[in-house]
Amino acid sequence: MKLDPRTKLFLAIVVNSVILSAPPVYSVLMFAVPAILLLFEKKWKFVLAFFSLYLAAVLGFEHLKTMDVGRVGTLAVSTMMIVSRMMPITIVLYYVMQTTKANEFMAGMSRMHVPNKVTIPLTVMIRFFPTVFDESRAIGNAMKMRGIRLFSLQTLKNPFAILEYRLIPLLVSITKIGDELSVAALTRALTPEAKRTCIVPIGFHVQDLVVFAYCIAVVVLFLLRPVS
Amino acid sequence: MKISFKNVSFSYTDSIDDAIIKDINLQIESGECVVLAGESGSGKTTISKLINGLIPLYQSGTMAGDVLLGDKNTADMTLAEISKYVGSVFQNPRSQFFNVDTDSEIAFGCENLGVEPEEIRRRIDKTVKDFHLESLLGRNIFHLSGGEKQKIACASVNATDPDIFVLDEPSANLDLKTVDDLAEIIKLWKSRGKTVVVVEHRLHYLRDVADRIVYVKDGRVECEWTPAELEAKGPEYAASLGLRSIKLVQLGGARATASESQGESITFRNLKFSYQKKFPILDIPELSLPKGKITALLGHNGAGKSTLAQLVCGLRGSWSQKRAARKLGTYLIMQDVNHQLFTESVLDEVLLGMHPKDETAAFEILESLNLKNYAEKHPMALSGGQKQRVAIASGVSSNRNLIVFDEPTSGLDYRQMLAVSATLKALANRGKTLFVITHDPELVLNCCHHVIRMDHGRIVEEYSL
Repeated sequence: MKLDPRTKLFLAIVVNSVILSAPPVYSVLMFAVPAILLLFEKKWKFVLAFFSLYLAAVLGFEHLKTMDVGRVGTLAVSTMMIVSRMMPITIVLYYVMQTTKANEFMAGMSRMHVPNKVTIPLTVMIRFFPTVFDESRAIGNAMKMRGIRLFSLQTLKNPFAILEYRLIPLLVSITKIGDELSVAALTRALTPEAKRTCIVPIGFHVQDLVVFAYCIAVVVLFLLRPVS
Repeated sequence: MKISFKNVSFSYTDSIDDAIIKDINLQIESGECVVLAGESGSGKTTISKLINGLIPLYQSGTMAGDVLLGDKNTADMTLAEISKYVGSVFQNPRSQFFNVDTDSEIAFGCENLGVEPEEIRRRIDKTVKDFHLESLLGRNIFHLSGGEKQKIACASVNATDPDIFVLDEPSANLDLKTVDDLAEIIKLWKSRGKTVVVVEHRLHYLRDVADRIVYVKDGRVECEWTPAELEAKGPEYAASLGLRSIKLVQLGGARATASESQGESITFRNLKFSYQKKFPILDIPELSLPKGKITALLGHNGAGKSTLAQLVCGLRGSWSQKRAARKLGTYLIMQDVNHQLFTESVLDEVLLGMHPKDETAAFEILESLNLKNYAEKHPMALSGGQKQRVAIASGVSSNRNLIVFDEPTSGLDYRQMLAVSATLKALANRGKTLFVITHDPELVLNCCHHVIRMDHGRIVEEYSL
């Protein structure tokens, strides 16, 4: 099922704001949207794993938050809270990244009259995430090769070293890739003045309406809730 | 469209005295295919950047003289305007695509130029047919091989239909088969009257397409030949100028498996790997590498060479395979050495894997790899070849017996290739066993003792040189 990029943007904003301000019932309601959309993309395992972890965290937190659980328990409860808050944000971002093509995104932004100066850096960012993962994996391999392990006497003595080993090569290589990427874009006429066309037609359909209506309904319910 | 350089000089600094390009006069006619050859750092890439407008419009520096496309001066144009006339393909296939899916990538340039969607569709269809890309449509670019990515990059610039094509070392990461496909694409452009400029170290695949080979040295056009003229002067002449051979070096030799040759060898058994049980990526019952010798591993992109290297080095595979690799002591020198340098100085890099740490021994290793003067330098501040040697030094210092190289000479000129070859020989003389994945027949001929060729995850040929 294909959504318009503008709908996805709206969804991402609503999910983020509801999660950060509303009680858990509303965030479960919001979590459902990207989860269902991902099911349409056939990401069964991913959704199942995320949903069960999320549900466990929410229920666990709600159940335990008023109890006296001791020091270790407090650590567990706060982890649950972080998971229950971060999970929906992660899943909605994952959905947007997985399903939005760069050209669709740019077309959607330009329909909303967002200037290219804002759109282009955002698009580069979307393109950048998979690259960073790719590079990071290669660096991880190199570290294994050198015998630098996460848990060893050496890293215990100097825990920041491991961060440094990972980050420095990553920074060097993504800076280089970033530069090459902008050169490739410039020589192919991606400039702030460009009046782009898009081969993927974008526009609102029934499914967009459903998502909009649902999101608005949840927000309205949240705003009108009886305050005790 | 004609390209003319009129007394062009360029320097990356504020002073024209440091010019990397010095007073160049060059005329490239419409419909011509010109190869810019020369050693690394000779300024040939700078010349290509002057054509596609990155200089002076993107890169800052000091420029004198004029570059004309037809009768327009690039200095008076914008990059968007130039991109209508000039299409560029770059060296690194990983960093020149902007979309994640192939279709959008081919359309990307056209979309930026504001071409109507129906017209773009028509152009994509035509490009796909001309380049035989049917099987690559609708794919995730991150899952394509280097050669496939490079074809998509060519297709994308082709769709915008420029008059001039500029290719900057397009073959650096490609195997021999894919290089031939690239030559076909250039032929097609030429047959349509396009002007093609190729900056390249590897010359053999351009033998039948190039009209002229322009030799650049120290920022000047030193001389030029037709491919036939260069070939007639013989391989020694080309080598003396630091150029790669224009005739494809043919490999061949006495057929013998490593186990038949004298001396000990390191043997791996049962090297298997697959993502899905039914489709093995790799299936090698036995692999033996002669001890203290250099063995080359040849094969096309996607034949399973990198997977084999990772298995041998214990980066993939079962737990027992990984343990065996650790016990044997294997070390992988990656193609992108930037990934494997971690510390703040070259000396630290060598000491990192050394147990116990011994500075005298470390200096000895640095000395043997011509790195002694750089001991206190930051590894990232070194040149590509020096970084590679630092990575090698760290492998030697951690006392590994088998060192695996992944494409150590991709994108290197003749002299640099010889330097790598000398390093490999020196390592073998120290008693290390070397296993070299490569597409470079000249390197193989220069230093390897033994050759293994792979295809579809199996060893199909083995011989000694």
